[in-house]
Formats: sequence, C-alpha cells, structure tokens
Amino acid sequence: MADPIDSALDLLRRLNPKDVKSNVDHLISLNPDLTEDLLESVDIPLTVKKCPKTKRDFLCCDYNRDGDSWRSPWSNEWVPPVDEGEGVVPSDRIRKMEIRANEAFDVYRELYFEGGISSVYLWDMDDGFAGCILLKKAVSPNPQSSGSWDSIHVFDAQDRARTAHYKLTSTVILSLGTDSDALGGMDLSGNMVRQVESDMAVDDDTSHVANIGKMVEDMELKMRNLLQEVYFGKAKDVVGDLRSIPPLSQTNRDRATQKEMISGISR
Amino acid sequence: MSRTAALASFVESTPPGELTDVTKAIKSILGDDSAQSDLAPAFQRYNEEQFATVKLPGGSGEVLVSSYNSLGNDRYYDVESQSSFAFDHATQKASGVKSYVLESTHSDLVKSLLKSLGIHTSEHYPKSSLGVYPTEDDSQLAIITVANKYSPSNFWNGRWRSSYIYTPSSGSISGIIKVDVHYYEDGNVRLLTNKVVQFSVGANAGASEIVRQIANAEKKYQEDLNKAFGSLSEGAFKALRRQLPITRQKIEWEKISGYRLGQDIGGGRVR
Repeated sequence: MADPIDSALDLLRRLNPKDVKSNVDHLISLNPDLTEDLLESVDIPLTVKKCPKTKRDFLCCDYNRDGDSWRSPWSNEWVPPVDEGEGVVPSDRIRKMEIRANEAFDVYRELYFEGGISSVYLWDMDDGFAGCILLKKAVSPNPQSSGSWDSIHVFDAQDRARTAHYKLTSTVILSLGTDSDALGGMDLSGNMVRQVESDMAVDDDTSHVANIGKMVEDMELKMRNLLQEVYFGKAKDVVGDLRSIPPLSQTNRDRATQKEMISGISR
Repeated sequence: MSRTAALASFVESTPPGELTDVTKAIKSILGDDSAQSDLAPAFQRYNEEQFATVKLPGGSGEVLVSSYNSLGNDRYYDVESQSSFAFDHATQKASGVKSYVLESTHSDLVKSLLKSLGIHTSEHYPKSSLGVYPTEDDSQLAIITVANKYSPSNFWNGRWRSSYIYTPSSGSISGIIKVDVHYYEDGNVRLLTNKVVQFSVGANAGASEIVRQIANAEKKYQEDLNKAFGSLSEGAFKALRRQLPITRQKIEWEKISGYRLGQDIGGGRVR
C-alpha cells in the first residue's frame, strides 16, 4: 500500500481545491500522524492579521507561526505575544535582510497587484538562509463576480564563493467565480506549483534581495501566463470537448470537406 | 466532524472519473480496509447524483444510474433495453441483468422522448448516456443526459450533466445543468458550474417539441458559459495581478530602494 502522506497529497490534488483548508483538517483528524507533513507541504489560502504595533496587515503561514502566534514582518513581534523566551526570531543579519526584502516586495506588490498585502519571512540555515514571500489580493470587480490570488514562494539560498545557489518553489492559489441569474453559478478555482533553481552572483546581502526579487518576478510572470492558459484556455476547451454547439454531423461534414480539399491540393 | 461525515465529504467532491483513485487514497490514509462500510452510503449518493454510467453485461451502450431509475436494493432499470440490473456502488460495475418492462401511463411519450433525445444528444455530445423515467407517482417525467470525457494521461477529466423534470399536465419543464472539469497537471484546477432553467412547452406537447426546447436552453447556456470565461479573464483575473507594471518594464531590483510608492511608480499615475 502507498505511503499515507503520498496518498493524502494525491487526494488533495483531486478533491475540490476550494475546500483544501477543511480537507486538510479532515485528513489530520482521520490520521493525526500526518499533521506535521501536511501542514508543511500543503499550501492553503493565506490568512491576514493586524500588527498592533505598526497597525499594518500581515500574512500568516506555517513559516511565521509558533503555536497559535504569528510573527509580524513589520515589528518582528509575535501576535498574540508568546511566552518569555519562546518564539524563534531571525539573527540580526537575517532580520536586516528581511526588513529590506519586505520593503522591496511592498514596492513589487504595488507595481503588479496595485493593492493587496505582502509579507516576507526569512530564517537562518546552516549553510545560508531560507525564506518565503507571500502575496495576497482579493477583488470584486462587480457584484456578480469575485476573485482572489495567493502567492506562496518558498526558497533557500546556499552561500558559495561570490555566488549563491537558490531553489524556489512557487504556488499560486487562484479562485474566480461568478453568480448571476442569467449565468447561474460558475466557480473556477485551483492552484498550480512550479520550481526553479538558479546560481547568481552575490556581492553583499543587498544582492540576495535583488536576486530573489528577480526570481520571484520571473516566476510569477510565467505562472500568470500558465494560469491564464489553464483557466481560460484548457478548461473552456474541455467544455467544448464534452458538448459541441454546432451539430456534430455538420462538423464532421466540414472536416470531410476540408480533408478532401487538402488532398486535392497535394495531388 | 465525524469520521463518516469527513469521508463522505471526500467522496462528494470527487472529480469525474476519479472515484477509484479517491477510494484508493482514502484506504491508504486510514491504513486499513475498514472504510468500506463507512463509504457505502456516500458512494450511492455520489453515483446517483453524478449519473454514473455503466455498460451492462451483454449490452452495447452505457446506461446511467440515478435516483429516478432506482428500484431499491441497488437495482436500477433502463427503459430502452427493457432490463434491470444490480449496480455495485463501490466498483461502479453492473451485474444480474433481468428483463424489465416499464409500466407507466406515459410509456409512449417516454419512448418517443428517448428517440428524440437520442438524435439530439448524438448531434451535440461526442459520447453520452441518457434516460427518461416516470417520477412522482407517474405525474412527471425525469429527462437525464450525461456526457463524460476522461483523459487521465493528460491530467484532465470532465462531465456535463443535465436533468429536467417535465410535468405533462402543465407542460412546464424545470431543469438543472452542471459542468464539472478537473485539470491536475502540477496543480489542481476545478471548474464547477450549475444553471437552473425553467420553460414551458404547453400541456401535452410532443417529444420533439420538448427536446427542441431543451436543445435551445443548452445551446444558450453553453454560449453564455463561453462568454463568462472571457469576462472572468478580462475582469477579475486582470484586476488581481498585472502582467507587467504600468511602465511596461520589469523592476530594476538593484534600484528598488529608490522607488517611491505612489510617485515615481506608474509615471505619475493619478491616485
């Protein structure tokens, strides 16, 4: 029999992606041994908290969590506060970089999303550091339709002489829906995951932020195109494969005529 | 939520053609085969709700399973082949075929509807199954069609199902059309739609008129759905994230600390 965690991930790849949060909760109650693996490897839509100190919203995921508290990237403080001595925060060097990265991705967020929320979290590793870049935006362009976008970019950076090796895993959770009397209900939701690795030159810690920024920017451009293709191309094509608007006898006749013309030309 | 309810919710959201995969995963997660009895009621609900299709032993086409052609005890009937059969909800296989003749005051209409509907579906569905069954003490007819296309090697599966309730005494038809598409290559994307339709064909209308109206409603719905893909792409999707910043240039990350939000960005965009 397959490894239960592989089966759980296979199941989550099949069930309605909109229910991923409740499905993860069900899986954990059915098999508590899977708790840690599931929380680590399954991306769920990001939740939002307010940093009491800076009054700014920040995003929450497993990487800035300690028990029931989340670390604000703006103040470096835990919300709600953790007990004295609890809660791991980055070293001074990594925290400095984290502040810079948060400023940089705040600009990125404004340029590409024109709204929404961003948060970057970094942590120390033995041979470098790692981190995640989170972006979230929701829209409701008219009363009948709505959409939400969650980006979760997780990377690690291994320091080498004058360069660093970066490994990035990106997930975008995209939910779109409309509901009107004329059309009825339509929900188009899901997530896509992509990975990339790259070696880039590093002069100082500023280079790290720029390198990661470029990687995330390229990745999101690629993924946006991919999502567009799958959501509005592939899904629509499958509907057309299930049911044909023009009568099939007509379509088949047209095809036969076309075939005849082609063979006529090549003769 | 109880164990049974959790398992039932998994079955309920199973994509077209993936029940075997979902069942296999559930058993592996639980680490035993004990789930079978927990799952049985959920399987039955799923198969009847999704109009599961099955090839009868010795039969040619596929027939469907729904609450409308249920005889109880996991047996269902098919009008066209004049037979009833046992359906295994866990494996989706049929057995125990017996002769079954429909008794209904609408028998003739059922037969002519099957004929007209057969012509309609063969013109618009590359592959589909259909059924017409008396319901509500023979006062109404359920008209069901289901079209599946499974392409697991390309990581997608789809289903289009329609069910209409026709009331001969009033000539009214109410129906619901549902489309379910799953795409799961390096991700998990799902399209789920539902559309309620209502129309009237006049009391004691003929089969061809009923099917003509159904065909019109479905054509209109598919055209609307195609347009909706376009408006979601141009509307909500575009509003979420730009393809490039308004400057049409990628970010100069080395100079990122020099960007001043709301001023330099967007070349003086009015905020």
